[in-house]
Amino acid sequence: MKKPTITDICLLLLSAALCLGSKLLFHACGPKEDGSWMSCHWAEQTVFLMSIGLTVVSVLRLFLSRPAKAGAALAMSVMSVATALIPGIAIRLCMMDTMRCHAVMRPAVLILCGLIAVAGVVDAILSRKEANA
Amino acid sequence: MNIAYRNVRRRPVRTAVLLVLTALLSLAVCGGTLLVSGLQKGLGSLEARLGADIMVVPYEARTKSNLESIVLQGNPGYFYMDNSRYEKIRGLDGIGQISAQFYLASASSGCCSIPVQIIGFDPETDFTVLPWLKRSYDGNLQAGDIVVGNDLNAFPGDTLTFYGIDCHVAAKLDKTGTYYDSAVFTNIDTIQQLIGSSLDKGMNDFAGTDPQKVVSTVLINVAEGYSPEEVMNDINIHVKKVKAVQTKEMISGISRSLQGTSDVIGVLIAAVWVLGLVILLLAFTMSVNERKREFAVLRVIGASQGKLASIVMQEALLTGLCGSVLGTGLALVGMLGFRTAVSEQIGLPFLLPGAGQTALLAVMSILAVLLAGILAAAVCAYRISRVDTALILRGDNG
Repeated sequence: MKKPTITDICLLLLSAALCLGSKLLFHACGPKEDGSWMSCHWAEQTVFLMSIGLTVVSVLRLFLSRPAKAGAALAMSVMSVATALIPGIAIRLCMMDTMRCHAVMRPAVLILCGLIAVAGVVDAILSRKEANA
Repeated sequence: MNIAYRNVRRRPVRTAVLLVLTALLSLAVCGGTLLVSGLQKGLGSLEARLGADIMVVPYEARTKSNLESIVLQGNPGYFYMDNSRYEKIRGLDGIGQISAQFYLASASSGCCSIPVQIIGFDPETDFTVLPWLKRSYDGNLQAGDIVVGNDLNAFPGDTLTFYGIDCHVAAKLDKTGTYYDSAVFTNIDTIQQLIGSSLDKGMNDFAGTDPQKVVSTVLINVAEGYSPEEVMNDINIHVKKVKAVQTKEMISGISRSLQGTSDVIGVLIAAVWVLGLVILLLAFTMSVNERKREFAVLRVIGASQGKLASIVMQEALLTGLCGSVLGTGLALVGMLGFRTAVSEQIGLPFLLPGAGQTALLAVMSILAVLLAGILAAAVCAYRISRVDTALILRGDNG
């Protein structure tokens, strides 16, 4: 395994933050009084599963060759954009914008996924430069 | 610029410290100013929204329910008084405009566990809701039509069900920063249907009054030549079991809280700035002191005093620009992305400035931090331009 670059570390940390945060920090609304879940809960679950995928890929990248790492970084960018579209677009959130899923979960997921997408693209560009040098 | 850029890259720790400092300064100025202006705009919106001189509520609303929590913070609730009191108030002297409203807290709707406040108003007499409504809807509300606040995730054409009655969303209000954003508005016919349905389902008892003949609040604008205080006292004396309050009095508490919050934020911003500027000045001074030999060598190989000063200034410009853009970006992402969470935490009316004003504020923050960084560097640049090369290189640099 080569010494990890700054973008490798960023991708790993951001993916891990999305994975842990979606369950611990910026989770969706709690259950209703009757114990049933609102639709935002399923958005949270899907984001969690996607973030596990992102984290696994970001760990596997550390053991890949430089060109393969760049490809994986681009794949992570696409995955993170798809993840960002889950709350509110692919899966509807609650009725009120003041509820936790709108106020906390959605912006946090958007910001982290946006950062992962940017880091992935930057990593791919740097890899290309490195290959050309 | 090339030498300055290389210097910045060659010392990652020093550069990182300067970046963090400048980012912190711009974060404080941009985030703090956005917070204060959001609070001020929210209060302005609340003042405009109340739009009435006097609000009359059943007396028990002052004691049993917390009126402010319902009227100002939008916690769903309801209270009712007999329609005859509204008629009696209408007959008093000094009444200019008068309109009644009906409050009904919805049951949990299908998708969410949080009930919403439904407000019924009379379009014939209303003077507080219609001015807001006209901004987004110019038609007349029919039976079964509702207008939703901006925070409700429903759009014109959608159908919402309250107490088993399907309501058609006719319009969505603009953002107000007040409890209007999470409420639903409708006319008298629809609210009567909803009240009837809630009775059928046993969700309301209306304290023994006839639900067809009740109102929740009466809003009044006083006639010319009368003072709100005079009319308020008249109502409190002559109409039983009601409480008249001046709306300005109601929001004065919020104004005080807002002023206090703004003051605290202002002091914190000032403290961060003073601390940041001192640390920035120290960081530049230490950096220049430890590089005296480097600058002396540059002088020996022909760099002018002006060139040395220019290198220091360019380094400050580079780190200041990157740091301030980073800090301002963080402040914008935090305040714009989490504005609802911030608003909920503060518990006061909160309305962020528009895109143009926010962009202007961001640019001003970046410029302010750049200026601070350049000023701090200018002091060091002046000192370095006056170093005695011979003394430094001989090791006798005092």
